[in-house]
Amino acid sequence: MRVSREWLETFIDINVSTDELSETITRGGIEVDSIDDYTLDVNNLVVGYVKSVEPHPEADRLNLCQVDVGEETVQIVCGAPNVKEDSYVAAVLPGGRLPGGVKIKRAKLRGEKSEGMICSLQELGIKEEFVPEEYKHGIFMFNTKQTPGEDALKALYLSDQVLDFDLTPNRKDALSMIGAAYETSALFGGEVKAPNISVNEADETVTTSVKNEDSSAVPFYALREVKDIVIQPAPLWMQVRLIKAGIRPINNVVDISNYVLLEFGQPLHMFDKNRIQADEIVTRRAEENEKFTTLDGKERVLSAEDIVITNGEYPIALAGVMGGLNTEVTDQTTNVVIESALFDPVRVRKTSSRLNLRSEASQRFEKGPSHEFVLAALNRAAYLLEKYASATTLNGISSDGVLNLENSVITTSSDFINNRLGTDLPSSEILNTLERLGLGAKKTGDMIEVIVPSRRDDLKIPEDISEEVARIYGYDNVPSSLPKYSEITPGRLTDEQAKTRVIKRQLNAHGLSEAINYALTSEDRIGEFTQIKEGLKLLMPMSEDRSILRTSLIPHLVDNATYNVNRQQKNVAIFEIGNIFVTNGQDKLPDEVLKIAGLMTGVHHQTQWEKSGQASDFYTLKGIVEAIFEKLNLSNRVNYHSASHFDELHPGRSAEITLDNKVVGLIGELHPTYGEAHDLGQTVVFELNLEEIFSYKTGNILYEFLPKYPSISRDIALEVEDSVSVQTIIDTMKSNASKHLIDVYPFDVYQGEHIEEGKKSIALHLTYLDREQTLTDKDVEALHQPVIDALVDKGYTIR
Amino acid sequence: MTDTMSTLYKEFEEQLKSVSSRQELTQLKVEYLGKKGHVTGLMKEMKNLSNEEKPAYGQKVNELRTSIESEIDELEAELKAEALNEKLANETIDVTLPGRSTEIGGAHPITRIIDDIEDFFIGLGYEIKEGYEVEQDYYNFEALNLPKAHPARDMQDSFYISEDILLRTHTSPVQARTLEASNGVGPVKIICPGKVYRRDSDDATHSHQFTQIEGLVVDKNIHLSDLKGTLELFAKEMFGEDREVRLRPSYFPFTEPSVEVDISCFKCKGSGCNVCKKTGWIEILGAGMVHPNVLEMAGFDSKEYSGFAFGMGPDRVAMLKYGIEDIRHLYTNDLRFIDQFIPTEDGGQKDESI
Repeated sequence: MRVSREWLETFIDINVSTDELSETITRGGIEVDSIDDYTLDVNNLVVGYVKSVEPHPEADRLNLCQVDVGEETVQIVCGAPNVKEDSYVAAVLPGGRLPGGVKIKRAKLRGEKSEGMICSLQELGIKEEFVPEEYKHGIFMFNTKQTPGEDALKALYLSDQVLDFDLTPNRKDALSMIGAAYETSALFGGEVKAPNISVNEADETVTTSVKNEDSSAVPFYALREVKDIVIQPAPLWMQVRLIKAGIRPINNVVDISNYVLLEFGQPLHMFDKNRIQADEIVTRRAEENEKFTTLDGKERVLSAEDIVITNGEYPIALAGVMGGLNTEVTDQTTNVVIESALFDPVRVRKTSSRLNLRSEASQRFEKGPSHEFVLAALNRAAYLLEKYASATTLNGISSDGVLNLENSVITTSSDFINNRLGTDLPSSEILNTLERLGLGAKKTGDMIEVIVPSRRDDLKIPEDISEEVARIYGYDNVPSSLPKYSEITPGRLTDEQAKTRVIKRQLNAHGLSEAINYALTSEDRIGEFTQIKEGLKLLMPMSEDRSILRTSLIPHLVDNATYNVNRQQKNVAIFEIGNIFVTNGQDKLPDEVLKIAGLMTGVHHQTQWEKSGQASDFYTLKGIVEAIFEKLNLSNRVNYHSASHFDELHPGRSAEITLDNKVVGLIGELHPTYGEAHDLGQTVVFELNLEEIFSYKTGNILYEFLPKYPSISRDIALEVEDSVSVQTIIDTMKSNASKHLIDVYPFDVYQGEHIEEGKKSIALHLTYLDREQTLTDKDVEALHQPVIDALVDKGYTIR
Repeated sequence: MTDTMSTLYKEFEEQLKSVSSRQELTQLKVEYLGKKGHVTGLMKEMKNLSNEEKPAYGQKVNELRTSIESEIDELEAELKAEALNEKLANETIDVTLPGRSTEIGGAHPITRIIDDIEDFFIGLGYEIKEGYEVEQDYYNFEALNLPKAHPARDMQDSFYISEDILLRTHTSPVQARTLEASNGVGPVKIICPGKVYRRDSDDATHSHQFTQIEGLVVDKNIHLSDLKGTLELFAKEMFGEDREVRLRPSYFPFTEPSVEVDISCFKCKGSGCNVCKKTGWIEILGAGMVHPNVLEMAGFDSKEYSGFAFGMGPDRVAMLKYGIEDIRHLYTNDLRFIDQFIPTEDGGQKDESI
């Protein structure tokens, strides 16, 4: 809503600067987004009287105009096609300026001197789209007699600033000049003067009847008829006020309709009475697929949710949204039906958004106009048509439906308001504030009764009243305090939250940076790096790339790696913690599973001058995954099982990770084909189900006494089949050893010379410890022999 | 000392002078003090002496041995030190070569901001609650006083999955669920961080996915002034001691009264700059007193209980704090971006935390 100060001043006296007005309104809850100052940069702009126009001797398109600018008559060269003798124009004189800092100088144009410039509205800072048709391609001319030499901005009603209200959805009351006036009154005091609505009714009575077929769609519909109108331009002040509000003037009838809409926030519609071709107006729901041509000439296919205004047979307007071409007011129109009605806000919103027809009218109907202005606006329009379109108003108003004009009452108390706000306001101050807002307020005992007029029907409950008091009293004046809780409870992170933070810090320390990716992905990424083959799809995606919820974190990490590698960041180590989504069907909530995934490509911890560094291979990343489990105190319960069923992973270099025999993740090298498709060389990835892992509680650390006796170690070297995993060997050892075998660690793996083809040599270091006594060689022998025997039983060769 | 001894000692001293290595010294030591050495040889003379002479003689030999020993030890220490010095000199390295690399990863700026905000409110006794990113329409809208016909619920603005399921558009459903789970008994003090989704085209200032962090306090006798005090404390802690807070009336369906919260600009201290668009104030939070409908729907008696809620965007806070010009940087995961967030931060000069 654009509010012109000059217009607002016809409703209420304003004694502050526009900046202060704007700031106070903003602090009061209506944000003034910007101020359009039409006087900015403009000076030396005067009314000129064009005495004569002669063609420029040297230029076809230019004219030499003798212009009376008050104290003198000067020659101005003008290129506008519409410049004419005996007209009043706006002219800038030499030394003057126009918006945007354009400076006007004395000049010679093709040998003829020009002492100023005759201006178009565009040159005065008015946007092309709002300039009336007749002035669009030339200079502006006043349509009434003016005094040459006077300030032309004043004469044009442009000595003005316009406040652009950015309204919150609840403040529909301020979608009108009268609402802006009430708000100003609440903030600064002063009486609001309502516009003149006195209609001079003729003897002849209104001829058109009204019938609402669906009272929920159209609760109230009223009309007046005027006859013998003369279509002509509206008065300048009205046109300019519309322009300043962002509406292009058309003619007096259309302009009056828009003008009243802005005054009261009540949209009106003007029908050409003769073109209705009936003496009744029937409102109803549209029929499914009913066709109707709106006044922009487009044929619309309607739905049963739309409301139409009909002449009893066919639609003549789409209620609250747009009129019909068949009853549009034209230059030939003489009799007009003025509509002022209430429509179901939800239906208007749906229709206007479905047809993409958002207008000043639909915007107001969507929020529900104030009942108290429905008839006032109707009468105001008739009054203005009488005055500016020579109309005669027929006697009476035709209407159907109920216009509830009863004020609502909210009962509250000073105690309640003070408790909610944390203030200590006396009830007199509260009552006073409410009165300034134009609300009735009276105190009965401890209670306050607030009478709410329909223009403020956004106020419904005592809390709403507390807000009104707070915003007028001023939030700056509300004290600051801290809550006094009924019970003191500690604040802390949950175990899971704390562990998540620990893991993030740890991975940072291992050299991995934290990524955050989009949860939405493209359908072809579903099923990558996971057994889940289906995803949860959006009903209306904005693009294919963001149409479905991810089922693994890895694909986007791969994309991140590609992005970085393509930007000279060859060494990438990243991780992400986030949810993946396991669908339970489109109409059910999915399982959201917290995962952690990581990726490494390139070389890490690289010290180039000594040519050292870690390759992005399986074991580098496995070391990091192991470190996570060590930190979580789960190392002993985790195992890695060779896995070859992920299409995206190297079949010989990937594993599933189990925790107590339950699969909780995967780790592996990208399949070279997949890597190549993503511009990546050797790259390793992992993903773990954090939710599952966090469900394993490990409790507190319990300190173990340091051993008093030395441990004894033995080494074993084995020759085994290539396919035998170290884990199998260790498992065999452990399951055949006593509890005194406390550690087995592989220290050498060898293949090649001296070892049979298809076999490998593995050397392991075993540590024995008895916490009760020193182990003798003999003791160890006894402990170690069963281990060796078991290995031999397995068919391994001891070397 | 007998003449033999004196001669022997003189000879020793002569020889010692010419020793230049530890090896020669060892030889010399063997020659004099070894089993077949000169000094040991002197002891063998003992048997030719009378019992009365023996102790005096023995003592003299021992004195000689001690003198020789100490001189050898002295020289040995000297030679050892010399050798060590030479070794150290040879071991000198170029200390300006870079150390063996131990890379550190960057903490995502959004994580940094969220952790900071969480930590502040944990200090005030809040708990951290996280909820679902895919939500039921009921918790995302209805339970927050946004009934079915509400204009803010346009299908065009949200990512729906089915009529009743959508990607949450704010973290407020966590509040609704937490309240509901509280069975109408306060206090509730929570902070809810998380990802949210809106049907926006991605550009420098819009992202279809971003993060939000919301706070909620519900108890008996919670006032708007408590909200103001809490946020003032927050602004000073997060953005510097001199920060001021300004509340402006606003509208949200789930709070009444509703306010926008501005903090005085941390860049220009309120004098006007490009960060605050010359206003001196930065809009950073939406807040208000929990709407009684929200409390009632979650099973709280809105006559007995009241509360406040506030919400802000860590993305926006990060952008303001670090001067990030394009929100898409937060989701592109360019290492040249993330790795700028490796270092720790402190308040710098007090009052100039940013």
